Amino acid sequence: MTLPRTKKMVLSGAAVTILLLTAACGGESDDSTSDSGSSSESTTDAVEDTSSDAATTYTAGDYTAEGSYQTPGGQQSVEVEVTLAEDGTISAVTVTPQADGGNSEQFQTKFAGGIADEVVGTKIDDLDVSKVSGSSLTSGGFNAAIDEIKDEAAA
Amino acid sequence: MKPLPESWRFDAIGTVWTIDSADVVSDVQRAAVADLVATVDRTWSRFREDGGVARLRAGESVDLGPEAARLLGLYDLLHDVTDGAVNPLVGGGLEVLGYDAAYTLRQHGDPVAAPAWSSATRDGSVLTVPAGAVLDVGAAGKGWLVDRVAALLVAGGHSTTVDAGGDIAHHGAAPIRVALEHPRDPTMAVGVATLEPGKALCGSAVNRRTWGEGLHHVLDARTGAPTRGVVATWVVATTAAVADGAATALFFAEPDRLVDLGIAAVWIDATGLHSTPDFPGEVFA
Repeated sequence: MTLPRTKKMVLSGAAVTILLLTAACGGESDDSTSDSGSSSESTTDAVEDTSSDAATTYTAGDYTAEGSYQTPGGQQSVEVEVTLAEDGTISAVTVTPQADGGNSEQFQTKFAGGIADEVVGTKIDDLDVSKVSGSSLTSGGFNAAIDEIKDEAAA
Repeated sequence: MKPLPESWRFDAIGTVWTIDSADVVSDVQRAAVADLVATVDRTWSRFREDGGVARLRAGESVDLGPEAARLLGLYDLLHDVTDGAVNPLVGGGLEVLGYDAAYTLRQHGDPVAAPAWSSATRDGSVLTVPAGAVLDVGAAGKGWLVDRVAALLVAGGHSTTVDAGGDIAHHGAAPIRVALEHPRDPTMAVGVATLEPGKALCGSAVNRRTWGEGLHHVLDARTGAPTRGVVATWVVATTAAVADGAATALFFAEPDRLVDLGIAAVWIDATGLHSTPDFPGEVFA
């Protein structure tokens, strides 16, 4: 049985490395993509949120972030585009691999294909359920990237 | 219906356990559960230098204790239906990729195939493996422990639901609904399972324990490389051990090969979300 004794170390390892979609939040800037790398930007008109309750609200729109990371095969990067609603619901995600070839490109393409089609779901808060079975307890980078984008979009 | 007054949470084997029961779990019963979990951890954990796995690795024959035969027998079956992709001697391959006791999380060699499972010998609960081989029961061990904790509480008179990080054995009075968490967004669900009393649900996702590009914990034992293609799986079965093991096997085998296990499944691969026709619940895709 895999019986991790220090889950936090796993989390930090995952947060540092997984697919480095998070590189936009803290990774080094990549010279070759300096225009779009390491940044998040709204590409649609922002919707002004006027509610005043305590819930976190976001500026709805499409956001993109590019992350780069170092592999034994050289510098690699991916671009993530997220469509975010004011309540924080993510209605679409597109992951575009920027890899230049070889195994890395192959993996990235498969990864991107695996999640892009399927990321749309139903908000758990809207479901009548008593439990959740999934990966949130130990998942890392992707959610962190999403959180980073949300932070930047927070109204 | 009486609400469940008791929700007991604790951390063990690297995950959060939540035990709901219609009645208060007594201190004695809690101590029994804690003792069971600690004993299993000591015996089976790949991350302990003082445990059964370390002694096996050194070439000793080790008595792995109660219900070891059930877990190892399940591995025989999982090994067969995946043509050897699931093999509990995969621990060495995980270490090479950095998922080791020290959590180096750095790959320090090419992937290595696991020693043949047929090279291990068994006499009841006593196992012997080739010296140097590293046992890892990550594919089904957590579910097996969930079953054992649930059995302990049921024997103590409890109507209970045992949940170890989303691997759930339901022995309550009424069905429960369980969201199938989206692999990439924990606020979303890709479906809902309806779990009848006496059923278990386990899930597996390759982003659960990921520490590098393409490095995760579901290895193909035949090559030692992380599997590709399947992103997440959920399985409903009559025991959590079978549900857990089948959730791993689905990364390598078509569901119809697992039919003898009596499972229903949902899984996500590069072509989308799929489910077996008899899956109890709904999927949103």
